[in-house]
Order: sequence, then C-alpha cells, then structure tokens
Amino acid sequence: MKNLLLLAAFLITPLAHAGGGVEVPQEKWSFQGLQGKWDKDEIYRGYTVATQVCLACHSFKYINHRSLMRVGFTEAEVQTLAKALNMDINAKLISALDEASAKETYGKIPPDLSMMNKARAGGADYSHAVLVGYSEDPELIKHYLPEGVPQGAHFNKYFPGHAIAMPNPLSGPDMVTYHDGTSATVDQMSRDVSTFMQWTAEPERFERQHLGVYVLIYLFIFTILAFLTKRAIWKDIKKH
Amino acid sequence: MGHHHKAVEQDIRNTYRWFDDRLPLLSFLKEHLADYQAPRNLNYMWNFGSLAGIALILQILTGLFLAMHYKPDVNMAYDSVQHIMRNVEWGWLIRNLHMVGASFFFIVVYIHIGRGLYYGSYKSPREVLWGLGLVIFLLMMATAFMGYVLPWGQMSYWGATVITNLLSVIPFFGPDIVVWLWGGYSVGDPTLTRFYAIHFVLPFVIVGVVILHVWALHLHGSNNPKGIDLTKQSDYIPFHPYYTTKDVFGLGVYLIPFTFMVFFLPEYLGHPDNYIPANPLVTPAHIVPEWYFLPFYAILRAIPIKELGVLAMFGSILIMFVLPWLDRSKVRSARFRPIYKQMFWLFVANFFVLGWCGAMPAEGIYVTISQVATTFYFAFFALLPLIAKYEKPHPIPATI
Repeated sequence: MKNLLLLAAFLITPLAHAGGGVEVPQEKWSFQGLQGKWDKDEIYRGYTVATQVCLACHSFKYINHRSLMRVGFTEAEVQTLAKALNMDINAKLISALDEASAKETYGKIPPDLSMMNKARAGGADYSHAVLVGYSEDPELIKHYLPEGVPQGAHFNKYFPGHAIAMPNPLSGPDMVTYHDGTSATVDQMSRDVSTFMQWTAEPERFERQHLGVYVLIYLFIFTILAFLTKRAIWKDIKKH
Repeated sequence: MGHHHKAVEQDIRNTYRWFDDRLPLLSFLKEHLADYQAPRNLNYMWNFGSLAGIALILQILTGLFLAMHYKPDVNMAYDSVQHIMRNVEWGWLIRNLHMVGASFFFIVVYIHIGRGLYYGSYKSPREVLWGLGLVIFLLMMATAFMGYVLPWGQMSYWGATVITNLLSVIPFFGPDIVVWLWGGYSVGDPTLTRFYAIHFVLPFVIVGVVILHVWALHLHGSNNPKGIDLTKQSDYIPFHPYYTTKDVFGLGVYLIPFTFMVFFLPEYLGHPDNYIPANPLVTPAHIVPEWYFLPFYAILRAIPIKELGVLAMFGSILIMFVLPWLDRSKVRSARFRPIYKQMFWLFVANFFVLGWCGAMPAEGIYVTISQVATTFYFAFFALLPLIAKYEKPHPIPATI
C-alpha cells in the first residue's frame, strides 16, 4: 500500500514539468467540471470567430460542418452555415491562405488549430491568454523584452519568448456579429473561440465522461460484490 | 428430468476425458490455473502478478483494434490517430485504454518488482524466475518506447532520435548500427514502419516469456510474506477458488482508478508536445520520455560522459539480473532484515527522486541531485554483500 501511495506521488511529477514555460491565468470554462457541457450557443459564437477571423490564415483540418451536428446543430443549420462560406458540409475547414504566401508574409505556415488546445500546456487557458496577451504598452514590452521586439514579430505577454509571428488577430471589438446578439468584445471573442478550439481538440469529451460515470458506478458495485465473494470464500482460511 | 440431466453430465465428462487423453490441454490449464497450490498467507502485494497478466492482455486486445485503423507512414500516422479518435466507432475509448493502459501496466509491474525486492522473491530457488521477469520488463520497455513513436508527434520523433542515438556509443560499429536501425540517416519513414512492426510483435514475445515465468514460478511455488520454505500441506490452499476470487477483487480495485483516468483524465500522463505533429526542423525545449522511463533517463543524464551515461543506464537494469548473487543473506523477507528493510525503502524513495530529476531540465542543481541519486542506486547493490554479512536478522518463524 505504501508503494502505491508513493507511486501515486510519482505520477504527479511529469505534470509539474508539463506546465513549464510562461504561466497563464486559470479561467473558468463551461466545459469544465461535472456540470460541464458543450454550450451550443458558445460553440456557435466560437465557430463565428474561427471562420471569420482565424480561418483567414489557420485551418481546422479535422473539422467539417457536419461535425457540428455532434454538438446539437441540425443538418439544416449546418447546411446554411456551410453555404454562407461556399463550402460543402463534408469539406474540411481549410484556410484559403496557401502555404507559399503564408511563408512569404509570416515566415512560417500558421499551424492547424484543431488540436491546438491539446498541444499546449494549459489548453483553453493558454489559447485565451495568448489571444488577449497582445499589448502596445512600451513599459510592458520593455519589461519582458529589454532588447525590443524582433523584426516581423509581435509582443505577447503569454506566448513563450514573448515574441509571436502572428499579428494580433482580435485587435478590436465587434470584428464579428454574433447570432445571439452577444456583444463581441475582445475578451468575449477570445473565450468563445478558445471554447470552440477545446471542442475541435476533443469533440468526444462528454461522450467519454458520460460513459465514464456509468462505468465507474458499475465497477464500484462489481468490486463490492467481488470483495463479499472473496470474504465468503476465505471465511475459514487462517492467513497467519 | 433428473436422469436425463445425469446422462448429459456423463456425456460431457466422457468427451472431456476423450479429448484430454489425446491432448491434455484442459487438465494442464486446470493444474496451473485452478489446482496450483499457493501459500495461504499471501498478502495483497501478491495480486500484482496476475494483474500484470491482465494488463498485458488488455494492451494486446486494444492494440489489435488500433492496428486495424492506424497507418505507419510519416505522412499519415498523426492523421490516422485523429481518425481513430474522431471517426472510428469507439476509437477514442480503445485508444485511451491503450494509452492509459501502458502507464498502468508499468505501475503494476513496478509494484510487482518492488514486492519481489522486499520479500526476497529473487533468492534461491527463484533466480531464473526473477531473471525472466527482468527480461519481460526489458521487452516491455522496448515495446512501450516504440509504441510512443507511433503517433508521430514531436515527442515521438525527438524521443526516438535521442534514445536511438544512444547506440552510437557502441565502439566502432555504433554509428553504423544506428543507421541500420533507422533505415536511413535520421529517424524517418522506414524507422516508423519498422517500429510499428516490432511494436506489434514484441507483446507476443512477452506472452511467451510470461509462460516461462509462470512455469518457473510453479516449479518451486510462490514465495510468501515471511519468506520461509513451507513444509506442511496445510500451509497451502488451491489457487481456485481462493486466489481467483481475491484476484478478481483486486482487479476491481485496479480498474477503478484506471477507468477514471481513461474517461476523465486520458491526457494526464502524456505530454502536450506529442499533439504537435513531428517536425524534424524544430527541437522541443525539453525532450522528456514517458514518465515510466524517467528514473533511467535521469541516470543517463547524470553522467556528463555520454558513453558512461549509456552504460550506467543499461547497467542500472542489468545489475538486477545478478541481484540473487549480490544478496547472500539466507533470510528472504525484509520483515526479518532490519538493515535491508531500511535500505529497501531508501532505494524506493531514491527511485522517485530519480524519476523527478528525469522530468526536470538537465542543468544546475538537478544534475547534482541526479548524480547523488545515481550513486545511491548503485551503492544499494554494492552494499548488499556487506549487509548480508553484518546484518543480524530477527528470529525467523518456523511456520506461517
């Protein structure tokens, strides 16, 4: 038993390291906790930001419009959304920006965003922090980058190294108009698209957790019955 | 009705006898899985052997289903894993079981090895049993290492590069061996494809060695918490129903945290960098292996001379093969060995320290700590002959 506890402690060590780099603030998300879910309106708003802002340069190659039906969109709804972008509902969300011009403009190909929240320590907290982490404040920039911002890069408080190739994508409010009339502040757009990116990274999240509850209930009952069986069988055995 | 029932039963018995007379497979299994005589005083630490067997079977089954959808090609591997996670029916479940299952397999095996160390299960007449267990452990490490390369993320690629490069220290042939292993001049498509082939086949080799391991176990029987040789028939109970029911209960206890991780924290033991597709042009800030390799990784990095580091890392496992001959104490169980008992717990604590160092960057204070911990790791083995000589064991009971 002592072994087990020690091993449990051991398991925590890699995680402590995974959080390395720049610390990002922890936010509250609608998908967290036991009451967590994919909020259809929030996903819709995130989709709006993703397709009207991010998709200009970034792709979501594991996502098509049909995938949205997994969070409660009807087929008619996704047909309308896809049509507005001149896309087939089965077509991947691929950016119109081709690799050659991307390299010319930004020096690198903007990464695919479908898996971004899983590919960075901090997940949605990280995405949100980077999206709102831009600043023009010379004092702040000087504090983090005494040598100044490198040519072609942009200051970002939460990006590792504080110099990011991506220009501030959410540079001001009302870059999009939301379907539900929510006011499109920079913070709101950032939260919505970070939630959307969490969904694109793990669309199975709630199918997984929902099934997990039943599996655990089953296993608790199974284990209690197994214990009672063991005790009954061993009743007459003296162990020492 | 009663008469008819009896006749059917007799038919089944006759058929069983007929078959067993021609191939005694069922009676062999009965002898080893049901009638096997086990000491009646085994504690819950003895659950981890059969648990390891179950973990192995689970890995093979989930792996088989993953293999039906995975593509071992550098241009398709990462995408095919996402295909499994998103489009394959129950694909996310199968992959999470396999991914978390690998970690839990190692937890079980580490506890199983720790139990053997504590109760002196490696001592005569079980030296070969112990050695076969270490062979299984080495095969597991090779299998897990190659399995981690398959998703073709950044850690897959760079982990593979770092670890395969270690073989370049082999005198004279080293660099050629590495090129031969890679199938090219760097880790690439041929490497991925062959690692997939080897990752698929090694578990079956492990099954083979497990059979030898159980064979060696059943020859002299299980050790027990008191570490004494049992003489009376009343000291034994048949494996079934006693240990079958106990193992089923243990399995339930194991499956609760395991499935909790599978359904609620599947990524917890992984590294986020492995969700960045492999890129030979960008080296990650810190290349870290899977958690279960960290103690050995720390030993590797503790020594600044690469050749010696590699030697120490492999030596740290190979030295366990000669453990039965280093520890000459006639007493098996640490319960009756006051000094060995303390050394054992220090060794375990030291192993955690090494694991922690392995996760930290190889710089500054972490290197110093790894060096101290590495020294203690080997000192533990070096001191065993002396402990055996000078330690005064507690009185040993004649019977359980």
